[in-house]
Amino acid sequence: MGRGIALAFLYRLLSLLRVQDALSELFSRCGRVQSVDICDKPGTGEKKEKLTSKFFNRKTVTGFQVAYVVFRKPAAVQAAKALSREGPLLISTESHPVKTGISKWIASYAASVVDQEELKAEVDAYMQDYDKKIAEEEAKAAKEEGVPDEEGWVKVTRKGRKPGLPRTEAANLRVLEREKQKKARKELLNFYAWQHRETKREHIAQLRKKFEEDKQRIALMRAQRKFRPY
Amino acid sequence: REGRSSGTPDPKLPRNRLGKRPPGAGRPLSPSDPIEELLKEVTLKETKKKKIDAFLHEISSLLSAIPETPETELTDQAWLPKGVKVPFLQVPFNVKGRFRFVPPTELKVVGSYLLGTCIKPEINVDMAVTMPREIFQDKDNLNQRYHRKRALYLAHIAHHVSKKKLFGSVKFAYMNSNHLKPILLLRPQGKDEKMVTVRLHACPAPGLFKPIRFYPSKNNVRTAWFMEQSAPKEATEPPTPHYNNSILCDTVLLSHLQFLSSAATDFPGMKDGLALLKVWLNQRQLSKGLGSFSGFLASMLVAYLLMKRKIVKMMSGYQVLRSTLQFLATTDLSVTGISLVKDTDASLPVLDDFHQAFEVVFVDPSGLVNLCADMTASKYHQVQFEAKRSMEILDDRMVDGFQVLLMTAKPMLRTFDHVFHLKHVSKLQGACKKMQLLNELMDRGGNYVAAALPFIVSLLARGLARRALLVAHSLPEIPEWPIDAEPPKHKDVGPLMFGLLFVPEFAASLLEKGPQADHPEALDFRTFWGEKSELRRFQDGSICEAVVWEADTVCQKRLIPEQIIKHLLKLHADIPESSVCYMGALLESVIRTGQEVSGTGEEAMVSVVCSYDDLSRKLWNLKGLPLTVTAVQGVHPALRYTDVFPPIPMKPIYSSYNRIRTKHLLLPLEEKPCPAYIAPLKIVCHMEGSGQWPQDKEAIKRIKAAFHLQLAELLQQQYQLVCRPAVTHTDVYKDGYVFRLQVAYHRETLILKEVVTPEGMLKYQDTEESRQLELETLHLPYLTSSLHGLQQQHPVFGSTCRLAKRWVSAQLLSDNISEECVDLLVAFLFLHPAPFTPPSSPQVGFLRLLDLLATFDWKNNPLIVNLNAGLTGEQAIKNRFVAARSRLPVMFIATPKDQWSSMWTQEQPSAQILQRLLVLASESLRAVEEQLMDPFNSQDVKMVFRPPLEFYDVLIHLNPTQIPRHLESVDRPQKSFSRGVLKNSTSVKILFPVVDYDPVQCYLQELRDAFSDLALFFYDKHGGEVIAVLWKPLSFQPQPFKVSSMKGRMVTTLNSELVCVPNVEAILEDFEVLGEGLVKSVEARTEKWTI
Repeated sequence: MGRGIALAFLYRLLSLLRVQDALSELFSRCGRVQSVDICDKPGTGEKKEKLTSKFFNRKTVTGFQVAYVVFRKPAAVQAAKALSREGPLLISTESHPVKTGISKWIASYAASVVDQEELKAEVDAYMQDYDKKIAEEEAKAAKEEGVPDEEGWVKVTRKGRKPGLPRTEAANLRVLEREKQKKARKELLNFYAWQHRETKREHIAQLRKKFEEDKQRIALMRAQRKFRPY
Repeated sequence: REGRSSGTPDPKLPRNRLGKRPPGAGRPLSPSDPIEELLKEVTLKETKKKKIDAFLHEISSLLSAIPETPETELTDQAWLPKGVKVPFLQVPFNVKGRFRFVPPTELKVVGSYLLGTCIKPEINVDMAVTMPREIFQDKDNLNQRYHRKRALYLAHIAHHVSKKKLFGSVKFAYMNSNHLKPILLLRPQGKDEKMVTVRLHACPAPGLFKPIRFYPSKNNVRTAWFMEQSAPKEATEPPTPHYNNSILCDTVLLSHLQFLSSAATDFPGMKDGLALLKVWLNQRQLSKGLGSFSGFLASMLVAYLLMKRKIVKMMSGYQVLRSTLQFLATTDLSVTGISLVKDTDASLPVLDDFHQAFEVVFVDPSGLVNLCADMTASKYHQVQFEAKRSMEILDDRMVDGFQVLLMTAKPMLRTFDHVFHLKHVSKLQGACKKMQLLNELMDRGGNYVAAALPFIVSLLARGLARRALLVAHSLPEIPEWPIDAEPPKHKDVGPLMFGLLFVPEFAASLLEKGPQADHPEALDFRTFWGEKSELRRFQDGSICEAVVWEADTVCQKRLIPEQIIKHLLKLHADIPESSVCYMGALLESVIRTGQEVSGTGEEAMVSVVCSYDDLSRKLWNLKGLPLTVTAVQGVHPALRYTDVFPPIPMKPIYSSYNRIRTKHLLLPLEEKPCPAYIAPLKIVCHMEGSGQWPQDKEAIKRIKAAFHLQLAELLQQQYQLVCRPAVTHTDVYKDGYVFRLQVAYHRETLILKEVVTPEGMLKYQDTEESRQLELETLHLPYLTSSLHGLQQQHPVFGSTCRLAKRWVSAQLLSDNISEECVDLLVAFLFLHPAPFTPPSSPQVGFLRLLDLLATFDWKNNPLIVNLNAGLTGEQAIKNRFVAARSRLPVMFIATPKDQWSSMWTQEQPSAQILQRLLVLASESLRAVEEQLMDPFNSQDVKMVFRPPLEFYDVLIHLNPTQIPRHLESVDRPQKSFSRGVLKNSTSVKILFPVVDYDPVQCYLQELRDAFSDLALFFYDKHGGEVIAVLWKPLSFQPQPFKVSSMKGRMVTTLNSELVCVPNVEAILEDFEVLGEGLVKSVEARTEKWTI
């Protein structure tokens, strides 16, 4: 079975079905078309996951798209390759017009209006499933609470008689900070002569650094004529 | 030392045991501070001084060699050669006296050059030329005889020196634009011409005149002579103080020099301080023209303060500046004059005599000359106001005093809220007549501008007393002229400009309440206001004189001062309205709403906010929700008063739509013009946090959708509001507006950020989705409420924002810079106005915005907007900014709640767009200021709202019928289309109107989706008829063939290699196909790009 890439870059069009039909009709002059797949970009044809919801997480593809035209016989691909010499192929024809411009925008405005009943039904169904899932999970967690696994470990959760610390980044940082403070409290500052010297040296080095920075900044400003009043 | 911004503070350095400082840490550690750098910029270099000295030397040897002339009558000027005209307006011409030229007895440099206080950009060296005693006669003090001799004397010198090769130019000018005092200007030859101007002042031999003749109460111009009448009619002649003063000035040139040099000895700070003061005055345009606060006056003032021990010789330049400003801020010389006289001499006139004769009094050491003779009280009050403002700035630690006080220019247009021009100054002649100012006219030598100005200004100041903080005027200025030209006339000062600074609370008030009808002051009030004054009964039962001005809308109210000014000038000064060119609201026409002449949208904005308030109350009180509403927050710009065109109530006309009764909604019809654009007003509705919320992002989305459905149902049931729910929001039609409710749950952003690491630790990480949600539900509501608050304090904040955004959009950049960013820029102008005051008119705010854009150094500085005064120190932000500059957005705006991320400029503008914006801003500012400065121009200020289109590659022309906001365009279209709505009407039960449907925006979206890597698209969203396209040059380079990069490209061979290049012809065709029904034509400018 041969596969031909017809590099038909398509714009986002409202009715993909219609474009698929149009494409298969267009290419049928080269040989029997088996199927037409439309994807976002060229690549190995991974099957798109099926959309579960009519309202949520709808990815709208924008800009150019690619279609793969699959022929029954490999010979048709050769014929298709020769097509490009005849000039561009038109998808939108008198008999099969593709909506663009004003008519498309009006249609997509109309499509953006949701059916309340349908939405309500979908939300209700989803939430029922979700509640059920959560209830199951909770029941499972409650059952496993305090029960050691095969290797004898007991999972510490936030629930139960002995709740553990939450395992979040913030909590971790808090603990680390506390440790650091504890350590700092124990340390003696400027106790040894060398410590004293060190701090002094650091202080002067810092002042010098700032002085140098200021000097550079002023030089820069002078170069930019920042001091010229008019 | 406050007001110093940079420079390291002197550090207390530790010493080691030997008492020595560590190497390299010796003082002074601080590198130079900005004031010293500024002084270096403005002071004269030693090398230049040497050249100038040589030039002066040559001049003096030249002058003493000028030949004498035979004596002639003053009126017989035939001896004067053709190439030179007398630099004096000899009106009336006839005068007694005889003149001959004798070379000067003494030539001496006076003034700032010797004191070393003369600063760039104009280096003037004053030279006193003493005219010998023998050319004068008795009574030369009378009837301008002295002045005319002086002018003839200079004319002869001018003629003589003009033949010498030494000079690049020889010209006349009026000293401080006082036409009684011509001076001769000499400039060196060649490239040094700009280096220096030597000004020759002719002055009388010492002791020529008896001082007593020139006391302020004495007369020296006879009425009969001035009026050209044969016999004197009046026994008592009026005093001529200004005339007297003009002669006295010449007698004290040398003594003033001595006085100032003794003050300046052992006082290095005086030189620096004066240089700073002069820069300060120059930046405020106070130091040039008739009645200016000149540098010389500043020197005398410093000397006065030294005498009074307010300044000591130990002080630095900065301290001298500060003390002088402090003195000016607290002393009103128009009420309590000051004098430099050391020992009181009973024979000299007292300060009161001077106050009788002059508006501002500052007497010189001789006790005779008033140094402020020509200054109007208004001008002094302006100086005083500036000094006060400057002292406040110096005491404010949050402001960079150096930058603001000394480096920022304050031209009148950007300083005052409203300005107006007196187009034809010749009308002031009539004003002098009407106000009976003959004596003043005589005193000023016929200069009707100088005579009438003080009276005009005080008239206006009285009329605007409660409304204006300051009524200021420009200083009449006459340019220099060539010696063979006639001297300029009084009308040659050009139009006079006046500036008003408003008290925002009262500036727009409709009523001028006068005294009670039976009070004696009532008559005075009636004569002042004329026919406009009428008796009115007030709520407290009193019957008073009152003037009520007519104005219906906020924008008309802002122009009440114009009505007042025109009325008073007509009534009291005979100046017709056509001579007054008022520049208060010229720019506002671009934010007018609709076709009706009514207002500039402030009223519409208020009614939106009212409707919103009502809706939020209804939401609070909604019964039957499982969770309560905790907060309702607006996020749409209209809800912070900054929407360019605020929504107006609209009701759809069904016949223009496709009615879908089953769904209770309307759809646009293809064959009709696109329906009027109805913007959804976004509102965030926070729901109470509760255990009932699921902790999973998908489930939260479902619950929010359920809330949207339920809100719609309940609003419909309980308040009969027509609603249309959707997944992410519910649209509510109320009072003719459409509000878009969005439910928010405060933990949702947190849940979106949750990431579990492989070790099972919970981390919070920003994602695109969480950032977006945080922006919409947290930051934008906060910004909206902060700016809403700002509007309450500054009533023109909103209109200024709207003007600014209209300009950005008109320049096709509105998609490249966020609205919030522009709002913050404008907020900056109101919160950090220094050295100005917060704007009280949209126009001045707009001008300052353009200036801010054009001059702010975005590369090296963050713009810090201290909203709600939430910041106490800015240094931390600045330091961190400098450290991380390369990683931060090109335009960095910090606010108290957003100190490190500059969230509103993070993605836009790009460096190129910012650069373009700056160029456009500085060009627009230049153009609009030029228009506003010229009252004779057509004042087509809309010019800066029309974008230049030459520089784009492709223009897509649109079909006006499908542009829903066509009426918002800068040049309102002649014909408009019925867009299926009734404006300003509402309904309760309707099919839901078409909301947020703008075909042009749909089109732009598709264009950008498809071609964003090939081209940039620019459009004025407020009714633009053209989409401008700019190809990206980089993407036009041939690229190696790759299947994934074939979008919009075609394959071709280049040097026998397969490459792909943009398929321009196909793209242009695509432009048309994609915009079917909207695109009128695609104009490709082939000359600009080639393949």
